[in-house]
Amino acid sequence: MTISVGLNCPACGGAIQVTEGDNVLNCGYCGSLLWVEGDTGVLTVAYRNMQDRDGVLRATERWWKKGFKARNLGQRGNLRECYPIYLPFWSTTTRVAGWICGYEERHYTDRNGNTRTERVPKEEMVLRDYRYTGIACDPGDLGIKYLRNTAGEASFADFESIPTFESTTSKDDMIESSKQSALHDAHRDADVPHVTFEKVTVIPKNIAQIYYPVWVVRYAYGERMYMVTVDGVTGEILSGRAPGDPLYQSLAVTGGTSVGGLIAAAGLVLGAAAEEPYFIIGGLFIGVVILGFTYLFFRHGSEIIEGDFKDKRATSPMDWIRSNLGGLRI
Amino acid sequence: MASMKCTKCGAPVEFDVGDKFVKCSYCSSQIFIDRSGAGFYYALPFAIGESEAVGIFRRWAGGSTRAKDLDKLAQISSLKKQYFPVYLFKRDVNGMEQIHVEPAASTTLPGLHSLKVPGGDLKIFDDKFDAGGAELIKPDIEMAPYLEQLPGTPKEQALVYFPIWRLDYVFEQRRYVVVISASSSEIFSGDFPARSSGAYMLVAGVGFLAFLGEGLLALASTALALGLMAITVVGVFVAANFVARRM
Amino acid sequence: MRVLQIKCPRCQQPIYSKTKDLAFYCPHCRTMHVRDGGVHIIDFDIAEFNVNAPQDRVYMPFWRLFSTVRIDQSQVAGGTLFKLGRLLKGTANGGNLFIYVPAWHTEVQEFKRWAMDMTESQPMYSLGTDFANVERLPTAVTREEAMRMADFVIVTMEAERPGTLQYLRYSLQVHDARLVYLPFVRGPGGVTPGF
Repeated sequence: MTISVGLNCPACGGAIQVTEGDNVLNCGYCGSLLWVEGDTGVLTVAYRNMQDRDGVLRATERWWKKGFKARNLGQRGNLRECYPIYLPFWSTTTRVAGWICGYEERHYTDRNGNTRTERVPKEEMVLRDYRYTGIACDPGDLGIKYLRNTAGEASFADFESIPTFESTTSKDDMIESSKQSALHDAHRDADVPHVTFEKVTVIPKNIAQIYYPVWVVRYAYGERMYMVTVDGVTGEILSGRAPGDPLYQSLAVTGGTSVGGLIAAAGLVLGAAAEEPYFIIGGLFIGVVILGFTYLFFRHGSEIIEGDFKDKRATSPMDWIRSNLGGLRI
Repeated sequence: MASMKCTKCGAPVEFDVGDKFVKCSYCSSQIFIDRSGAGFYYALPFAIGESEAVGIFRRWAGGSTRAKDLDKLAQISSLKKQYFPVYLFKRDVNGMEQIHVEPAASTTLPGLHSLKVPGGDLKIFDDKFDAGGAELIKPDIEMAPYLEQLPGTPKEQALVYFPIWRLDYVFEQRRYVVVISASSSEIFSGDFPARSSGAYMLVAGVGFLAFLGEGLLALASTALALGLMAITVVGVFVAANFVARRM
Repeated sequence: MRVLQIKCPRCQQPIYSKTKDLAFYCPHCRTMHVRDGGVHIIDFDIAEFNVNAPQDRVYMPFWRLFSTVRIDQSQVAGGTLFKLGRLLKGTANGGNLFIYVPAWHTEVQEFKRWAMDMTESQPMYSLGTDFANVERLPTAVTREEAMRMADFVIVTMEAERPGTLQYLRYSLQVHDARLVYLPFVRGPGGVTPGF
C-alpha cells in the first residue's frame, strides 16, 4: 500500500505547490489554473515566538507577587523547567445576519404603590462577523482553551526547533460549535428580553489553524510542583497554578462574615422601620452573596488557579462572572 | 520522523506526524501523504520526569478537596513509567471530519477509558523511537472491530502510545491510585481521601450570624455591639486561620 | 487526491487566471462554471456600461435571486408605510422581485448596503456579451450562501420601514439564481453605478 501521491502539473509535468486549505492554484511553470480534488486541509499559520527564557522566568516571578498567592512564593518558589511549545488552535469567522424583534418590559411604581408595566417594542438587526478560537487538541492540564491574542508575525521559522503539539480535534466540530456560539452571542448582543419574531442566518465564513507559541514553566514550592504558561507572542501569563496563603483565606472570611452580616442586619433594621419587605430581602441577599464568595475563597483559596483549568472553582465574583458569561469571545 | 521514497526521483523523503504535504529535498516535488488506508504508530514523548511527577502529585494531594495533609502523609508505594495505547480514528462522515478515540488495552486505571488524544508532540513510533525505559502496555483490543463500527470512510487511523506515570499510594491503610499524564501533567484520579467542608462552613456560618445579631443589637446598645463586634472579628480570624492551616 | 487542469466544460479550452475566483470564465466560448462538488455551468449576465461612464471601470458580481415573496402577516408597533409593497410586482402583499446579494468578498456593513441598495433600486441595464477587458471582482460567495441571505434582505426591508417590527409571517421562494456582473466606476468616494 502506498501512502504517497506525487503532485505535478497535469498540463506541463512541473512540480507544484499545493497550499493547505486551498483548492485552486497556478502552475509556476506554465501558468495553468489547477484544481485540487479531495481534502486539502485547512489554511495553517504559525506565529513567531517573541519571548526568551529569561523574559518568561521574569514574567513568572512578577506573576508570583500578584494577587492572593503565598507571600513567600518569591523566596521559596524554585523555578525548575522552562520550555516553549507550539499549541494548535482553530480560528473561525462566522457571519450572522438577521433580525430579532420583540419587546422589553419596564415596571413603574407610582406614589400609591400601583405598579404599571410598559412594553417597549424593540427591533434589533444582528449583522456581524464573529471570530472564535479554540484549542485543537486536548489541553490536558495546561489551562488553555482559547487564544486571547490573534495578532502576531506569521512565520514557520521556529517550527523545527520548538516541539509542536498536533491538532487532534475535528475542524468540522469547531465550525459547528462556532455556529452555535455565534447564534448565542447574536442573541446576547441584540438584547431583546421577550422575542416575538426572529429570522437569523448563520454562515461559516472561514476556518484556519494557528500554531501559537506558549512557554511552559514548572516550579516547586516545598515538595509541590506548580506550573505557569506564558504567551510566546505577548509575554503575558496565560494560565497558572500557585500556592495560596492561609492569611488571605482567613482575612477573606473575616471580612465576608462581618460585611455580609452587617449588611443583612442593616437590611432587616431599615426594612422593618420603613415597612418595606424589599429592603429586608435585598439586604439578606447581598449579605449572603458576599458571604458566599468569601466562603469559596476561604474553602478553596489554598491553591490559586488562573486560566481555563478543568478543576477551577470560582473564588472571586469576577471569576464567576467571567466563567459563566465570558468564554470564548475574543 | 518517518521516511518514504519520493514518487518522482526515489530519494528518501522524511515526514512528520502532522504533515499533509512534504517536499522532496532532491527534486523539489511536492508529495501528498494519503493516510486513509494505512495504520500508523505514534507516541508522545515524556515531558515530565519522575521527580516532577511526584511534585505534581503532591500539589494535587494538597488541593482543597483532598484530605488535610494528604500531600505529606500519603505513602507512595510505587511509581511506574508506562506507555498506554489508544486508537485514534479520523473519519469522513458525509464530508464532515469526525475524530474517535478508543482504548487499545483493557484497564481499570482512572481516566483512561474516556481519554481524548492528549495534547503533545506526536512522534512516529518505530524501531528508532526511544521509549526512555517506559513499560509498554501491550494493546489487547484489536483495531478491526472498532473500524467496522465506526461511521463514514477512513481518513486516518493510528495507535497512539500515551505516556503516563502510574502512582500508587497508601493513606490510612487504604490503597489509592492516580494516573499523571506525562505530556500535559493532567491528573486522573478515581476515589481519593476527601476533606470535609464542615469546619469551614461552621466558621463562616457562625461568624455571619454573630455579625447579623450584633448589627441588630447596635439599635439597642451601640457601645456593647461595637465591643462584641471587635471580639468577633478577632475570634473569626483566629478560628479561620486555624481551620485554613490545620483542618 | 487528484490535481486537474481547469478547462472549460463546454469547449475544453484551458482557463488561465491569476485571481482566486469561485466562478471560472472561459473567454473563448463565454461560458462560466463553478466547481462545488462537481462541475456546473452557470447562467450569468454582463450588464453594459453606459457609453458616457468614465474610464476607471470595474464589474462587481451579484447573485440575482428571482423570488416570490408573500407577506402573510406583519405586525408593526407604530408606523404605516409598506416599503416592500412598492417593489413587488403583483398584489399588495405578495409578488415577484429580484433580490440582489453581493457575491464578492465584503465586510458585513458593506454587504448590507449593497444588498439593500440594489434590491431596492431594482436596476435596469442592457446586456453585454463580454467583459471587454474590464476588471471584474472575484466571486467569493457561493450560490447556496446567497440563497440563505435572501431572508435577511426581505426581513430588513420590512424592519427598516418606520415603526418597530414585532411579528412577521412570510413565504419566500427563490426560483432562480443568476450571477450578474454590474458595471461600476471607481471614484474618489468609492464606486458608483456605471449603467
